[in-house]
Amino acid sequence: MDVAAERIERLHDLARAAAADDEHDRARYYVRLARRVAERNRLTLPRTFRRFICDRCDAYLRPGRNARVRLQDGHVVITCDCGAHTRYPYGDQ
Amino acid sequence: MPLTPETLPRHELNGLPVRVVESDDASREGLEGRVVIETTNTLSVEVRENGESRVVMVPKSGSTFEFAITDDAADLEKGSGTASKLADTQPAAADESSAPADRAGGDAASCRGDDPSRDRHHAAGEGVAYVTVDGLRLLSRPARRTETNGDSPWQ
Ligand SMILES: [Zn+2]
Repeated sequence: MDVAAERIERLHDLARAAAADDEHDRARYYVRLARRVAERNRLTLPRTFRRFICDRCDAYLRPGRNARVRLQDGHVVITCDCGAHTRYPYGDQ
Repeated sequence: MPLTPETLPRHELNGLPVRVVESDDASREGLEGRVVIETTNTLSVEVRENGESRVVMVPKSGSTFEFAITDDAADLEKGSGTASKLADTQPAAADESSAPADRAGGDAASCRGDDPSRDRHHAAGEGVAYVTVDGLRLLSRPARRTETNGDSPWQ
């Protein structure tokens, strides 16, 4: 694993810790930095990271705190406090 | 490539315990805390003192930083309680054991701009290494450091 992938992993931990302390702007900063590092090094963010960040406002999502998680027909809908929805399928995978 | 003294200038600095060894501004010398925000020209250090935390912005140029690297630097973040404790104890330990050596190293580094021996690391305690880096080596956009600064100190 190269430095860029490790940076992204550490930024994930930092963003999670910042969001847990209600430091949402700082969590956003870590998310944006992780996105930028991934972009510049042609990596995709790990799926576990992607599913916890808002595409629109880069917030680190904590279900029940700043995100709503609802199950619908075959897919999950995550609604950020900013109003953006993310959908992904569940089930036969 | 894990976070080692050699890869540190290319690696993530946010979250690392840091001490300002030397600074043009004497009031910033000796600051101990954790890097919370990095910009092109500055590091913001969160200092915890008796339960209160404040964030001090330190310019990279004109400062020498000492980072503490553990085997699992990322794991420190998970519990903020342990993190703050470590931030308090680790740099203090450095004060006792290796401060004079670091000062000397820092002086040498500031005189000789391109010397490869600028990264001095001391193995102190169990699994903790202290790396002294001239702030000039960190001058870069945070996301670009990984590509632009190779492991070699030569540009
Ligand atoms: Zn959002």
